[in-house]
Amino acid sequence: MATVNDFTPKEQPQWCPGCGNFGIMLALRNALVKVGAETHNTVVVSGVGCSGKDAHYVRTYGYEGLHGRALPLATGIKLANSRLRVIAMGGDGDGYGIGLNHFVQTCRRNIGLTYIVHDNAIYGLTTGQTSPTSMKGMKTKSTPHGVLEEPIHPLALAITSDATFVARTYTGNIPHMIEVFTQALAHKGFALVDVLQICPSWNKVNTPEWFKTRIYDLNKEGHDVADKIKAYEKALEDVHSGYERVPIGIFYKVDKPTYEDGLPQRKEKEVFEHDISAINMEKTLAKFI
Amino acid sequence: MTEFVWKIGGEAGFGVMGAGILFGKVFTRTGHYAFIYPEYPSLIKGGLNTTQVRVGDAPVNAPSKTYDLLVALNKFTVEACKDEARTGGSIIYDGKNTDLTGINVREDIQLYNIPLLEIAQNAGGDMLMRNTVAMGASLALVGYTLDQLDVMIHEIFGRKGEDVVKINMDAAKGGYDYVKAHYDAGKFPIKLEKRRMRESKFVLTGNEAIGAGAIQAGLKFFASYPMTPASSILHYIAAHEYDHNIIVKHAEDEIASMNMVVGASYAGARSMCCTSGGGFALKSEALGLAALAETPVVVVLSQRTGPSTGMPTWTEQADLRFAMHASQGDFLRVILAPGDVTEAYMHTQRAFNIAEKYQIPVIILSDKFLSESAATTDSSDYKPLPIERGKMITQHMQPLPQGGRFKRYEFTEDGVSPRPIPGVIGGEHVATSYEHWENGFSTEHFETRKKMVDKRARKINFMANDLIPPTLYGPKGAKLTLVCWGSHKAPVFEAVDILKKEGVKVNALHFSCVHPLHPLAYELLLKYRKRLVIVENNSTAQFGGYLKEKVGVQFIGSILRYDARPLFPEDVAEHAKAILEGREKDAVVYDRTPVEYYTARIIDTKEAGKGLDKPLGESKHTIEVI
Repeated sequence: MATVNDFTPKEQPQWCPGCGNFGIMLALRNALVKVGAETHNTVVVSGVGCSGKDAHYVRTYGYEGLHGRALPLATGIKLANSRLRVIAMGGDGDGYGIGLNHFVQTCRRNIGLTYIVHDNAIYGLTTGQTSPTSMKGMKTKSTPHGVLEEPIHPLALAITSDATFVARTYTGNIPHMIEVFTQALAHKGFALVDVLQICPSWNKVNTPEWFKTRIYDLNKEGHDVADKIKAYEKALEDVHSGYERVPIGIFYKVDKPTYEDGLPQRKEKEVFEHDISAINMEKTLAKFI
Repeated sequence: MTEFVWKIGGEAGFGVMGAGILFGKVFTRTGHYAFIYPEYPSLIKGGLNTTQVRVGDAPVNAPSKTYDLLVALNKFTVEACKDEARTGGSIIYDGKNTDLTGINVREDIQLYNIPLLEIAQNAGGDMLMRNTVAMGASLALVGYTLDQLDVMIHEIFGRKGEDVVKINMDAAKGGYDYVKAHYDAGKFPIKLEKRRMRESKFVLTGNEAIGAGAIQAGLKFFASYPMTPASSILHYIAAHEYDHNIIVKHAEDEIASMNMVVGASYAGARSMCCTSGGGFALKSEALGLAALAETPVVVVLSQRTGPSTGMPTWTEQADLRFAMHASQGDFLRVILAPGDVTEAYMHTQRAFNIAEKYQIPVIILSDKFLSESAATTDSSDYKPLPIERGKMITQHMQPLPQGGRFKRYEFTEDGVSPRPIPGVIGGEHVATSYEHWENGFSTEHFETRKKMVDKRARKINFMANDLIPPTLYGPKGAKLTLVCWGSHKAPVFEAVDILKKEGVKVNALHFSCVHPLHPLAYELLLKYRKRLVIVENNSTAQFGGYLKEKVGVQFIGSILRYDARPLFPEDVAEHAKAILEGREKDAVVYDRTPVEYYTARIIDTKEAGKGLDKPLGESKHTIEVI
């Protein structure tokens, strides 16, 4: 059994002091231990941004790809070898902005990936511009007069896109993160975990104090995770309540066949495992006669 | 070479492309070679579609500017194509539906008025079966029997039942008998005979050859987004995904497709995607990712007329510099540009070996001309190449010490580092789009950065044996050397043959490995440096410029074409001769006819539509091929 130490590299993380990423990283390492993951069979994939560094700080196989493209990169890895536990890490700009198309498509595909989005409502690594989840009116470097658009509702979007596991957690509550990550990792199919995260450097609005009075665990209020319509309503509650109530927890969960289940090509063995040294093309080429 | 050039034309949706393959196969199965060259506009219905089938008793890999026999399925085809007829050429048309009044057909052209629609209908068929009637009539003219066409009809329609087979055979026979009854077929100037075959022959397009070559090479993951003229690679591989255990993903966009391919390759599956210029632009960022993270990838770029959307269904060789320089930063890549269908099959296999041995991106550069033309080829030319996966590690190793990482980017003499795939114990490492230490961890350490650049770059010093030398073709004592690359091998080589017959000695140098250059390329180019002429299907002689830069040679002339069509052998020969004789220096070939494929009016739709369940109507401009 791998331990938390096995998932911990020698290198020290280089995020800003107080960054929510530290908590996400620790929670993920703990959740991996809880689900019995092994370092060699786990791949942490990320885009680029502050969240992108997770692929470095969880000692497994890792691939830090391109900004916004963690999901297709992870999809390729998973399809080539679906025995791997593949975790995609993204940010709100990376995943809900430049990479949004992949998000919607991967949800409906129900491929066996765990997608953890570091949602701090700001672009951190590029020093503080508005993100798709920034609150309307928020002043940032790129919107000095305030954001004019409504924010993206990532959980609602995931639910309407037929994601089979939709959850949200908060960096200020590490036990909750570990619990939600553990459930997401155990889910067969695509699991989205949107992590409300503080950014001490650039987001001066959604501070720990701001979250403290608003966040509540919807699973403690008897939410039925099988109720899609209710889950959808809850997914909109933060914005619709004027941010008076911000729910976290498992919003929606359903068991459905995965994308991989529909591929007879990998029934016998994973596609990458086939011996390619002597492929017989006789029948295939005979069609050209 | 005895040859017979047959051409069929009609509006999109009349099945002229399928007819071309079928007709070409009839001759291939009876010992001839065929080259099948389609031209069509970016429309699903309407416009003008043509397919030329050039039949010869030796391999043919280029179209001809002229034809012996044209099958015109509508009036516009006659108008558009009548002047391409050779002296004494012929045109089959349906006088009951196509009124040729007002069309000035040359006196030397023999017209065969055959009621194609009526014969098709009498056989129990419809409008679409006029092709079959015309094929039967054409076979009668060249003195062939119908038996091979009947065999093909059985093979194609057998699954649809005996009724369908019979209707098609009756249609072919109807056309055949009509010619015999109403014309003196003996007067047709070309007679073909069945020839003995030493081995079976394949008829396939460049794209099919790329797809089949990839399957032979062990392709296990393919993700793409449709884009003409690359889409048929996606279709071909998708049709075989179960036969060969390949996962084919039609991705949400070009960017996703490329990133998926990078991911699947990282996980140990041979992976590829295909696209055209616009899609390649979108894939560029992930091409650089593959380069920095040293993940092997194979990308097929089938060029079309650009820039931007350009002319989607037409050809050009203008993405060479784009392929060479796509994505930010300096990095090594290999670009293979197959010269014909067989090379497409073999070089695609090479592409995978090179990608994995050197852990770099390899681009297969095709174009509409090669991708969608089909040729008869000898089956013995389709050989499997040994699979070389380089330093990929699939066996478990010693577990790493706690906290440790595998040196995935270890500095090695040849620049290639061991590559464990996920799942392998002891290989845990991070691959990244950032510059990195030997263990993959990101760094901004200057010396390491410099050493990593050098490590990735020096692979080039070890790959000479995997690159492909240029092919030299032509007689000794040549006075001019035509330099060409990729799809234009056959048009240029055939120009050499044409000139040889005229007693003019020129030779040709063809490159199917356009970047980096094989050592022999330098030797040959320098040897012929005083008489080089660059021949390219673009407006700026992109490859010529590259050779000037890399080899230091100059060109005494150029033959370029960028009107969206490929260079034809006759054009290359004419201008090569003019350059040799000092009458010309830089030639630009273009079609001066008023023909416009895209807005071709369906002049005789009303007439042709008679007998249809519903008239075709004004069907042009309905759906575009993008």
